[in-house]
Amino acid sequence: MNAYFGIDLGTSNCAIARAMDAGLPEILPVTQVINAGGIGERPLLPSSLYMPANGEFPGGGPQLPWQHGETCSFLGTFARDRGALQPDRLIASAKSWLCHPHADRRGPILPWGSTTVETKLSPLEVSRNLLSHLLASLRASDPAATLDHAVITVPASFDEAARALTLEAATQAGLAEVTLLEEPQAAFYAWLENQGSEWRKQVKSGDLLLVCDVGGGTADFSLIAVTGKDGNLSLERIAVGEHLLLGGDNMDLALAHAVSEKLAAGATQLDEWQFLALVQALRAAKESLLSNPSLQEAPVSIPSRGRKLIASTISAVLTRQDIQEIAIDGFLPLVDAGEMPVLRRAGGLRESGLPYAADAAISKHLARFLSRAKTNAASSPHLIEAIGGSRRLERSTLLLPDAVLFNGGVFNATPLRERVLDQLTRWAGTPVRELEGSRPDHAVALGAAAYARLRATGEGLRIKSGTARSYYIGMESAAMAVPGRRPATKALCVAPQGMEEGSHLEVSGQEFFLHTGEPSEFRFFQSEVRAGDQAGQILPDAAELEESARLQIEIPPPAGHQPGEEIPVRLEARVTELGNLELHFLHPASGGNWKLEFNVRLQ
Amino acid sequence: MKNSLIACGAVLLGLNAAAVYFPEQNLTLAAQTASAAIGMVLVFLVIRPQAARKPDATAPAKPVTPPPRAEAEIVALLALLQEHGRLVDFAKEDITAASDAQIGSAARVVHAGCRKVLDEYFEIAPLQSIPEGTPLTLETGYDAPAFRLLGSVPENPPYKGKLLHPGWIAQNVKLPRVTGTTEKRPWPVLAPAEVEVGGN
Repeated sequence: MNAYFGIDLGTSNCAIARAMDAGLPEILPVTQVINAGGIGERPLLPSSLYMPANGEFPGGGPQLPWQHGETCSFLGTFARDRGALQPDRLIASAKSWLCHPHADRRGPILPWGSTTVETKLSPLEVSRNLLSHLLASLRASDPAATLDHAVITVPASFDEAARALTLEAATQAGLAEVTLLEEPQAAFYAWLENQGSEWRKQVKSGDLLLVCDVGGGTADFSLIAVTGKDGNLSLERIAVGEHLLLGGDNMDLALAHAVSEKLAAGATQLDEWQFLALVQALRAAKESLLSNPSLQEAPVSIPSRGRKLIASTISAVLTRQDIQEIAIDGFLPLVDAGEMPVLRRAGGLRESGLPYAADAAISKHLARFLSRAKTNAASSPHLIEAIGGSRRLERSTLLLPDAVLFNGGVFNATPLRERVLDQLTRWAGTPVRELEGSRPDHAVALGAAAYARLRATGEGLRIKSGTARSYYIGMESAAMAVPGRRPATKALCVAPQGMEEGSHLEVSGQEFFLHTGEPSEFRFFQSEVRAGDQAGQILPDAAELEESARLQIEIPPPAGHQPGEEIPVRLEARVTELGNLELHFLHPASGGNWKLEFNVRLQ
Repeated sequence: MKNSLIACGAVLLGLNAAAVYFPEQNLTLAAQTASAAIGMVLVFLVIRPQAARKPDATAPAKPVTPPPRAEAEIVALLALLQEHGRLVDFAKEDITAASDAQIGSAARVVHAGCRKVLDEYFEIAPLQSIPEGTPLTLETGYDAPAFRLLGSVPENPPYKGKLLHPGWIAQNVKLPRVTGTTEKRPWPVLAPAEVEVGGN
C-alpha cells in the first residue's frame, strides 16, 4: 500500500491528510502540546508559535516525544492559547508575512513589534518549524512514513516569491520533492473526491465555477472553467484573486467591539483578557444564531479574572440584529457590480505590519476579483473560449460564475452562503447555484492528499492551471536621450499566464544585451489581468504592471569579456516541476547560464 | 482500570451537564447547578478511593514508586475543566447568597467550557437511541451494566418497563498525556496562580 500526503499549511491552522491507494483521504491527528501539563493529538495544528520567556519554563516545559532537551518555543494548541494571553510572545499568521512584499521574509522579524522577545524568528523559519512539526508527528506514529512527494497548499493569491519561500521552508524541514497546490483548487479536488462520479451531475460543459474560500484570516477566490464534451469534461483554473487579509476572525472581532461598546454604555469596562474571552464566547454565540434561525438572541457570559466566578461574571447578549448588521450586512453587504472596495485607508501614514484589507466588505472584494477576471479573460482568445465564448463577457462588467463551491469555516453558516449566492444572483440576473456536498473545514488538506495520489498514479481528473500570473522583466528602452526625461521602463513578458509545471519557454524573436561586471538592477513585474500576453511581447510602459521585486546584482563577465561589457544573451523562462519560476540568461558562445529566481524581495 | 474510571467520570459528567441544561426538569436553575457541582465532586470522591486501592499488598515494596498515572490524568482532566470551564472555581464558591441570575450567568461559562472539554477529549453518545418514555423489554442476557433498574424488579427477566433516561457512553477517550510530573509533584497543578507581570 502506498500513502500520499497532503499538507494544509494554513494561516490559522495546519492539517495533514493521507490518501491510500484507494478510498477517501483522511485527516491524521497531529501530536502537540495541549496545555502546560500535557500533550495529545488534535486534527488541526494551530499555526501559532509561542516563545516563552527564559524564566517561564525553567525545566523546559512540556516536551513532545521527539524533542530532547530544552524547548525554546511551542507550536500548536498550547502556543495559541498561551499566546493569546501574551501577544508580545506569540507569532500568528506567519504565512501572511511570507507573502508580504515589503517584509524581510528571511530576517528575524517575528513576533512583529515584540519588545520582550530577544531572539526572533523569520517568517521562513516559522513555516519550516510548522512543517518539521508535522513531519515529526507523522514519524512518531509511523516511523517509516515520509513526506517526500507531499503536496503543500498555498493561497492562490501567493506570488512567486511566497511560493518559492514555501518550497524552501519544506526543503529545510527535510521534505523532498514537494509540490505546491493552490488552496481553492485543493478544496475543489476534495469536492471531486467526495462526489465520486456524481460530480458530473452538478456541472456541465461551459459552466464557470467560483471557489469562494473565506478562512479565519484570509479570503481567496478562484474561477474554474468546465470545458470539453459531456462525458469527457476538463477543468481549467482561469483566474485567481489578490491576497486578502480578511476573514471570519474579523467578524468575531467586529461583534466583540459592538458588544463591548454596549457593555461600556452600561458602565462595564472589559480588560484585555476579558475582551479575548468575549471574542471566544461570541464566536459560539454567533454560530448558534447563524445555525438556528428561530433564535432571536444568544446570551454570553464573560468570566471574571479572579477566583470568584459567580459573583463577578459579566453578562452580555448577542442579538440577531447584531448578527444581521455586523456579520452579514457589514461583511457581505449587497452591492452593485460597480462598487469596488476601498483599497487604501485615508491616512497618509500607516503603521508597519500586515497589510490588512482596508475594506471589510467581502462582496466588494468579490466584485473587484470578478471584474479583474473579466479583464483578464477578455485579453486572451484561449480564455474566451474556455468560458464558453464572448457572450459571458457581454452580460456584465463582471465575469459571473454559474455555481459556487464554498470553503472555509465561515461558510459552515448557511445564511452567509445564501448571502453570497444572493449577491451573485443579483449581479448575474439569473440564479447562481451552490455545488452541494462541500466540507468547509478540512477540505484543503484532504484535497491536497487526493491530488498527491492523482499526481503519483495519473488516475483522476486534473485541473489545468499553470502560473496564475504573467511575469515580466523591466528593460531599458533603446531610445534617444531627451534632456530632463528618463525613458520609461519597458516590460518584456518572459512567462505568460498559464505556463505549466515542468515547462520552459524561450523568449524568442529578439536578442538582448546583458550588462556584466558592474552592479546592475533588475526589476520584475507581474500581472493577473493580462492572460493574452505572449512570451517575448514588449509592453511600452511597465507602470501598468505590478512591480513584484527589484534585484541589485553584479553578473561576472564570461571568460574573454571585459567588466562593463554588454554581452548578447538568449532568455529562457522555466517553471520547475515544483512550480518555481526561474529566468535564465544563456550566453551560447561561452556556455554561460545565469539564473534569476522570482523570489527576491521588493525593496 | 484507568479507562473504566475515566469512562465512568465522563458518563457522570455528561449526566451532570444534561441535568443542568435541560429545563424540562422541574428544578430551579440554582438547584440544578448546585447538584451538578456536587455531582462533580462526587465523581472525584468515587474515583479517588478506587484508584488508591490499586497497590497489591502481596507485592514487595519498591524503593521508588512510579508516579500514579491514572491519578495524574484525572487531575489533568480536572485541570482542563477548570481552565476552560472554571469548574473548580464554580464548585468551590459559596453560592448561598447568589441570585439565580448570577448563578445562571456563571453557569454559561461552566457549560461552554466543560462542553468544549467533553467534545474535544471524549466521544460521548447516548447509550439508548429510543426516546425517553418509550416502553422496552429487557430479555435474559441483556447488557446488565448498561442499565439501572428502578421500581419493583422481579427476580428474573424479562423486565418490562419504560425508558426514563437513555444513558450515556464514552465511545472514545483521548485525554492529553501528562508530562512533567515528578516524584515531588506526582500530578499536575490544577490551576496555576496567575500573576500580571509589570502591573506594579
